Amino acid sequence: MPIKGPRDHRAQKALTYTLFLALPVTFFLTAYVYAVGYTGFVSLHSWDGISPTMRFVGLDNYGSLMGQSRFWHAVANNLKWLAFYLVAPSTLGLALALLVDGKLKGEGVIKTLIFLPYIITPVAVAAVWRWLYLPDGGLVNTVLDGIGLSGVASNWLGDRHIASYSVMAAALWSTTGFSFLVFFSGLRSIPAELFEAARIDGASAFTIFRRITIPHLWPSTVLVLGLFGIEAMRLFDLVWSMTGGGPSRASEVLATQLYDVAFATFQMGKASAIGIVQLCLAAVLILPYIAYITRNVEEAAE
Amino acid sequence: MSLAPAAPLRPARVLRYAAAIFVCVLFTVPLLVTLNTAFKTPAELTQVLSLPSEPTLENFRIAVAEVGPAVLNSLMITIPSVVLSVLIGAMAAYPLSMMDPKKGRWIYFLLLSGMFVPFQIVQIPVFFVTRAIGVYNTIPGLWLVHVAYGVPICTFFMRNFFATVPRSIYEAAQVDGCGPAGYFFKILMPASFTGIAALAIVQSRSVWNDLLFAMTLTASDDVMPVTAKLNGFVGAIQVQHGPLMASAILTVLPMLLAFLLFQKAFVRGLLGGSSK
Repeated sequence: MPIKGPRDHRAQKALTYTLFLALPVTFFLTAYVYAVGYTGFVSLHSWDGISPTMRFVGLDNYGSLMGQSRFWHAVANNLKWLAFYLVAPSTLGLALALLVDGKLKGEGVIKTLIFLPYIITPVAVAAVWRWLYLPDGGLVNTVLDGIGLSGVASNWLGDRHIASYSVMAAALWSTTGFSFLVFFSGLRSIPAELFEAARIDGASAFTIFRRITIPHLWPSTVLVLGLFGIEAMRLFDLVWSMTGGGPSRASEVLATQLYDVAFATFQMGKASAIGIVQLCLAAVLILPYIAYITRNVEEAAE
Repeated sequence: MSLAPAAPLRPARVLRYAAAIFVCVLFTVPLLVTLNTAFKTPAELTQVLSLPSEPTLENFRIAVAEVGPAVLNSLMITIPSVVLSVLIGAMAAYPLSMMDPKKGRWIYFLLLSGMFVPFQIVQIPVFFVTRAIGVYNTIPGLWLVHVAYGVPICTFFMRNFFATVPRSIYEAAQVDGCGPAGYFFKILMPASFTGIAALAIVQSRSVWNDLLFAMTLTASDDVMPVTAKLNGFVGAIQVQHGPLMASAILTVLPMLLAFLLFQKAFVRGLLGGSSK
């Protein structure tokens, strides 16, 4: 009995674990593995989504994408968005966190106000910012007129050269709250004794920042950059409801182009090919990050 | 403490307050003008900065009629999706947090790899599969989709949280004759209440905000969530800005209330992925 007991227990554990994992893994296999495989399969065919048969065309869909400036334009826009996300809201969030983290009075209110836009649904952000950007009577141009900068006033979403950047400004407003909060909490978790000890040792404010603050913010930085990177590759809502990819496709990203090709022109094969390229791009950029956090969590758990 | 040179920094401190107030104003202005406009009559709309001379609830009346039912749909979609997502995530996370890391790691990595898959690339299969199994344009169909696509993030989150539950509790439960399943339901889940609340609120935000699946998988007013509905108005040719701003406010109201009520859980949830 004393020998059989633990072994029974181990078998019971293995069975329980398997049962627990079965449902999530099934969901995952269907929703991710099967679905991505299906997209890959469709990408090798010509199909309008309605007719019962697909025509096999090999790599033709990919070939025609490679020759399309519309496609490369969307890839370039996604890379612009990636650069934007990794630099702008993260840096601004860090700067604001450093600004507010000084025992200011009303800190709670300041925190909430900066964070609030992050709660707002992207579609609602789009509704508000489209209206702020109205060429006639929109808040942005009204204010610019009011302070004597009417020369700068533009048709923010209607000019193909600036539409993407106008959407980015709205994104900056709505995402900075997240990085701000993560960095702020990161700053608060640094033990105060470290700063005191450094100060007693006569370290300058800059040295303290570089040697204590920056290294301790590393986990926060990993979180912010990782999630923003994922967000940039997934970006759909804000662009779709602010510009629909326009004007004349200038602000299109891969996701909005895919939607347009699939559900407006019914070229399922070609849309799937766009998706597979998008996936490969995301894999190259984001898989190393996921490998990093998987390993990191193991270490943290010890 | 006494060494801190507080007094000579006074001007810097004033500057700091000024900068903080300036930033808060910048972040708040879009919200304030939205709120302001939602109470205006059509005649006053063109003056963005003026206050409404006769505040009206007419815009909200229109908004309730237009997007009110869709807000209810969103609640019907979000609440069950989130409950199921958290449960499924916890079910995956529990074995992964208890197993020998070498064995569990590849399953964990596989599940997490879903995090980088942009949802758009599966929208075509999801569209056809939901039609094939008869859940296209139904609320349970959206539950299924949100639960399935929430597996990676929920597993990641709960796995991180379970790692903070002391192992000694498990050993004590074992001594008391508690099996692995009993430990999960009777001890681990109740002990993880804060983690569950935090994940629930983060997951609610992502389900509530979803536009892509909403647009791909719903077609009629009795199912369509408020994001898809609002998006229809945003892109309309003749935009009525008063009702639109009121509708936008209705759309975000449930999440804003949730945030203000569960601020602590929310913050905790957002930080769930960082080391602590």
